[in-house]
Amino acid sequence: MKEIIKLILKYHFTIIFILLEALSFSLIVLHNNYQRTVFSGYTTSFFSTISAVVTEIDDYLYLKVANEKLVAENTNLRNQIEKLKVICELAQADTLWKKIDSTDAAYVFKTADIVNAGFNKTKNYITIDKGSDDGIQPEMAVCSSEGVIGVVERVSKHYAKVLPLINTNLRVSAKIQKNGYYGSLQWDGNDYRYSYLNDIPFHVNAMVGDTIVTSGFSTIFPEGRLIGFVESVNKETANFLSIKVKLATDFKRILDVYVIAHTKRQEQRQLENESYE
Amino acid sequence: MSNLKFFLHLVMLLLLQLTILDNIQLHSYVYINIYILAIYILPYRLRNATILFFGFFLGFFLDLANHTMGIHAAATTLIAYIRPRLLMLTSNREQIDDIQGKQRISDFGWFFKYILISTFIFNVVLMLGEVFTFHDFFITLLRIVCSTLASTFIILLYYFIALKKKQN
Repeated sequence: MKEIIKLILKYHFTIIFILLEALSFSLIVLHNNYQRTVFSGYTTSFFSTISAVVTEIDDYLYLKVANEKLVAENTNLRNQIEKLKVICELAQADTLWKKIDSTDAAYVFKTADIVNAGFNKTKNYITIDKGSDDGIQPEMAVCSSEGVIGVVERVSKHYAKVLPLINTNLRVSAKIQKNGYYGSLQWDGNDYRYSYLNDIPFHVNAMVGDTIVTSGFSTIFPEGRLIGFVESVNKETANFLSIKVKLATDFKRILDVYVIAHTKRQEQRQLENESYE
Repeated sequence: MSNLKFFLHLVMLLLLQLTILDNIQLHSYVYINIYILAIYILPYRLRNATILFFGFFLGFFLDLANHTMGIHAAATTLIAYIRPRLLMLTSNREQIDDIQGKQRISDFGWFFKYILISTFIFNVVLMLGEVFTFHDFFITLLRIVCSTLASTFIILLYYFIALKKKQN
């Protein structure tokens, strides 16, 4: 301690000088617009260079993990191919199915990857890497292999913004699979694993574990897409049940999704609008 | 030089700087700063830290007037820092006494060298602080040299008119 004080006393002139110069420099950078811009340009490029190097090293260190993941994914895909082969053979054997299939498909599927997602707010959004160039349009349905994800809200050339089930702004027409009673599914903004199915009349027999699927009335979703399972049933309001639904999709885990385009939606809309006139 | 006299010179230099020299636009290559003479003629026996603070606040004052926050302060702090060393390097004991005004300056060459080096270093910091990049360094160097020569000339002029006369 004594030595440090001695050192400070010995070099106090230089120390004061350095402090004053640092003060001047910070004054320059903080109070002059031009100098601030130049300085922040330098610092940004400096730190981005560092982070690029760090990322490179990081990537190299995680090569093994990435490799293992790829192998697992490959096996998974191979298994799926085998399953699909079986289904194809069955389909070819079934002539009736073929006939139905030969008419134009009402729904077209397109795969997409999630590039950005946030699930911590009440108004959550997902961004996927397909846009208007790939034929994506607003109000198309988005699903994963697990279940329904949401609805395309806006599209740019290469990206689309998806309104997921866990956004309080989205209402989806859903029904109980076993008896067909339908209501609207809306998220309450709390737990990303659960949503609520409202407007089901109180006399309907809904049991814990019942399957909830899309109703197909909205022209967005095809009928019968899995949404989730009944977690609990409440009879709080007078005439309607409030059903807590455990969502089939785990929003914190999804990566690959597919977008479902309803090819005859325009036609259906037109017909419905005409009837109002 | 007594404190009162020094203070009068300081006010005079600042007035000259702010009212006349700051309003002279000689292309963007020539900036004339006379006020730094106040640092050169500070009494020698002042404590080094005092000189530093004086230099900083003098530059800061000019910054406030010119809206160049920090640039003048950085430059004046540096020449206040090197002042004692420069005096040691370029002079002997007698000449140092000269700067306090007790005797006439016997060796003009020494005083000229001292002012030229200080002014050059001052202008290096000032110009680099202003352009804030090493890009086009030769243009910056040209501005530094031009400003140094002009400033030194004006400083010497003031010195011979106002300071040396009084010493006589």
